[in-house]
Amino acid sequence: MSTVPILEIENLHVSIEDKEILKGLNLTVNAGEIHALMGPNGSGKSTLAYVIAGHPSYEVTEGSIRYFGEDIFEWSPDERARKGIFLAFQYPTVIPGVSMANFLRMAVTNVRNARAEAAATDGGSAQPFTPREFRKLMREKMAQLKIDESFANRYLNEGFSGGEKKRAEILQMALLEPTLAIMDETDSGLDIDALRVVAEGVNSLMRPDMGVVLITHYQRMLNFIKPHFVHIMMDGRIVQQGGPELALELEEKGYEGLRAALAAGAQS
Amino acid sequence: MEATLTKGTTIPTGFTREAVEELSRQKGEPQWVLNARLAAWETYEQLPMPQRTDEEWRRTDIRPLKLDKLVPYAGVGERVASPDSVLATVEGGVSDESDRAGVVIQRDASTVFSEIKEEVAKQGVIYCDLDTAIREHPDLVRQYFMTQAVPANFGKFEALHAAFWQGGTFLYVPKNVAIELPFRSFVLAQQPAAVFAHTLVVLEEGAEAFFVDAFNSPTLDEQGFASEVVELILGKGSKLRYVQVQDWGRHVWNFMTERAILTNDSTLNSLHVTLGGKFSKNSIGSHLRGPNALAEMLGIYFGDGDQFFDHHTWQLHEAPYATSDLEFKGALKERARSVYSGLIKVYEGAQKTDAFQQNRNLILSREARADSIPNLEIGANDVRCTHGATVAQVVPEHIFYLQARGIPYTEAQKLIVEGFFRPVIDRIPVEEIQGFLEGAIARKVGI
Ligand SMILES: Nc1ncnc2c1ncn2[C@@H]1O[C@H](COP(=O)(O)OP(=O)(O)OP(=O)(O)O)[C@@H](O)[C@H]1O
Ligand SMILES: [Mg+2]
Repeated sequence: MSTVPILEIENLHVSIEDKEILKGLNLTVNAGEIHALMGPNGSGKSTLAYVIAGHPSYEVTEGSIRYFGEDIFEWSPDERARKGIFLAFQYPTVIPGVSMANFLRMAVTNVRNARAEAAATDGGSAQPFTPREFRKLMREKMAQLKIDESFANRYLNEGFSGGEKKRAEILQMALLEPTLAIMDETDSGLDIDALRVVAEGVNSLMRPDMGVVLITHYQRMLNFIKPHFVHIMMDGRIVQQGGPELALELEEKGYEGLRAALAAGAQS
Repeated sequence: MEATLTKGTTIPTGFTREAVEELSRQKGEPQWVLNARLAAWETYEQLPMPQRTDEEWRRTDIRPLKLDKLVPYAGVGERVASPDSVLATVEGGVSDESDRAGVVIQRDASTVFSEIKEEVAKQGVIYCDLDTAIREHPDLVRQYFMTQAVPANFGKFEALHAAFWQGGTFLYVPKNVAIELPFRSFVLAQQPAAVFAHTLVVLEEGAEAFFVDAFNSPTLDEQGFASEVVELILGKGSKLRYVQVQDWGRHVWNFMTERAILTNDSTLNSLHVTLGGKFSKNSIGSHLRGPNALAEMLGIYFGDGDQFFDHHTWQLHEAPYATSDLEFKGALKERARSVYSGLIKVYEGAQKTDAFQQNRNLILSREARADSIPNLEIGANDVRCTHGATVAQVVPEHIFYLQARGIPYTEAQKLIVEGFFRPVIDRIPVEEIQGFLEGAIARKVGI
């Protein structure tokens, strides 16, 4: 068992259009851990998610992000994905004319091939993927997430309802089997039943060698997916960390209350 | 007797009256054909060269084209026994004999192969090159060839075409005969000379046909020139699917003029694919001449390098109760440029016209450029006309989303471009054409 963390973020400073959004953020995720990341609107949660995924608009001015000990900044977004980093988008993108099936096949082929190659150089054996196997797998995962088969022929996220988009994100995650999953408000926009389906989906995807960062505003998601750690983010920094009880405390006090408590703590 | 050009003859450069006479003599044409050529030559000489002050040529600069440096025709006409070797270099060219109703292959100035399925010919269908048609069906040729859809005095380049046309294809489908398999025509230019291709399709009442034109050549060093005239005559209640793929070498200045005449209850489904050439000027029009005529006009163009494409379309509603539905989509990369200009013209009395026109452009580089100019001219009051034009870049968020799923940048771009064209591709219910288009788009994106 490797002791190198999956994700290790140190003193991360990130700007967009000369405005500093992340102001010295630290976060470590080890294998088998689920981390909940909570914080008020605009505190920089999605910014962090985008920077990990490699969005080109954000400028890292200081600090580091390491994935299994390796600096990720030189890697293109697609390289990161092929190495097992997955971002479930808060606002999944609509791409007209690109069918779900076609897109998924291309994504899975790229990620699987990269994994097979890596396994081969490590002395393992490559496992290529036939189109038939792919279709079978896609149908299976769609059924599990209660996504109608007709979605395979629809254009990517076009005309999908909010909840359908979120489910489609989890479908992609299920097919790509990431090692590090950043889930940005996957629970928002889901009805109660959908939330359960999605949460069960995520739980079934959890592997001992995997790490998850769950960005959410609500405790209800954490009732289904139990986090090991909860982090509270404010104004570009993590200001408080704790176990699952921290989320409950937050639910009770709200960010204002938490802020006041923190200020009082800082003074004494 | 085969009408072919003599081997080893050297032809002086430049278009001249003598060259017209020599061409006709070498082809052994009857006097009336020569007379028609010479009359067209007179017209050509009288008409001025299009200027940028002419509205249709405002954004299209043909000054670098040196007509006097061109060899007016070339090519040696021995026929070949099988089309396969000739078509081996053509993408999507070699198809199983059973997949087509007939094939005509023109190489440079001559037809080298012509074939029609026996069971198709038995139904009275004529499919052959124009030289043969002139010999065997002179009355039909006299009636339709450059007299109705694109008359010889249509314009400067059309007059030149009427004087110098070579090879050519003629499809005639008699009353109530429906042929499902496509008639294929290939024009291959291999010599450094001008090439003229002509397509004449005549459908009698209730006839149905599917025609695929392909223009193809390697890229040569010398300036090239291609002129095509396409005439589509649709009788009452007839149905024609017409597909044209222009994939000339990058040395070719291409001038294509197409007009369809739709009588009542007839349906035209056309698709124009512009991929090749250095310069391509395409004038594509449908005369909706009878009630309930329907013209679906689709276009796909994809420019790269220094290519320049100019598409002018004309939806001419001359009769009431007719429908036209046009969708042209183009992608431009590197320094490619395109102009699209479309006119919906509703004539006086053409009530209940339903006309739709849409042109969308996707820009894939900083230097590429597309201009889109939709026009409406409406002379009736009870009509529905809609048009729209867009020019847009690839959205970076789209690329990022695909990359975030492990898809490399170029593949992501390819997916997006293919997605851009997808709605048009899906409108062509012919798998072979869809597959060809997907391949052509992938090649253009560069993968
Ligand atoms: N492209 C951008 N241009 C300018 N400002 C930006 C851009 N992207 C993010 N920001 C700003 O950065 C800050 C952090 O945004 P971010 O989306 O990371 O917040 P968040 O914590 O995810 O909020 P929410 O809970 O609402 O999703 C906000 O003030 C936002 O306006
Ligand atoms: Mg957010």
